[in-house]
Amino acid sequence: MVHVDDPRARWSVSASEVIRIVAAADWSGGAPIDVLAALGHAPRARSLRVVIARGERGRELPLLGVGALAVGDVDPTSVLPLPLLLATRTPQVSAIIAAADGSLSLLIEPSAVLFPSDSVAGEELCPSHS
Amino acid sequence: MARRQNSFVRSFVPITIESTWIAVDMAAVREIGGPLTWIALPTASATLPGVAAWRGRAIAVADLAAVLGSGERLTAPTGRVRTLYLQQGASTLAVPVDAVREPLTVSDSDVRAPRVRTESFCTGELDVEGHTTLVVNLGVLLDAHRPAVASGLH
Repeated sequence: MVHVDDPRARWSVSASEVIRIVAAADWSGGAPIDVLAALGHAPRARSLRVVIARGERGRELPLLGVGALAVGDVDPTSVLPLPLLLATRTPQVSAIIAAADGSLSLLIEPSAVLFPSDSVAGEELCPSHS
Repeated sequence: MARRQNSFVRSFVPITIESTWIAVDMAAVREIGGPLTWIALPTASATLPGVAAWRGRAIAVADLAAVLGSGERLTAPTGRVRTLYLQQGASTLAVPVDAVREPLTVSDSDVRAPRVRTESFCTGELDVEGHTTLVVNLGVLLDAHRPAVASGLH
């Protein structure tokens, strides 16, 4: 698991979903996605690193890596799926990870994170006739 | 609800959120704990603003200040001094509160129709230690959040 100790909220992504991690200065793709801002946290404009995960349909998904990064194993029993009450409203988060010290981390589901340029669901089905 | 001498009796746990007194049905209370560690999911909703770990599973956190529309909202990662863990149907909620009072058993006739608040989650009022206390049913709140497909509830 790759953990990002973002001061707004700790989040994690499965290492198998991470393609690479690069310094922000070396990232030449589109603007990285602030996944916590998409969840309603105050947005951050920049970070030192970009976590490139495997997004929907295998697309590279650049995520803003604000805060210290760490890689480590997680006990499967500490991965707690979100209750349905919340899961339907936050599909980008599949679970929380409860660490032994009591701290919590949001487990991000990269395939559910939308690119800012993605069309609103349904738009593709309604092409313009102009 | 039990019956005693031709009248029903009900048990409540009185709690406070700042200066507001609230009573929750004792039957819904699974545990009373200390301060809660939780993580915010602001887009979830104002009334269910985050998630916490409890007994090996993730449960929604309810912010009664947001429910009532008064008082300071919860700010992650800490909650209030005490936490009530409530069972509402198939869902469990963590509800941070400022204080938990001694549980009380009252006659059904002591619970009057709500006057101070008329929202659907306020099912009545009673007097506790000289305070008008709202009897609330948080299950009503959950109904608004429950997905149409009722499978796989936690």
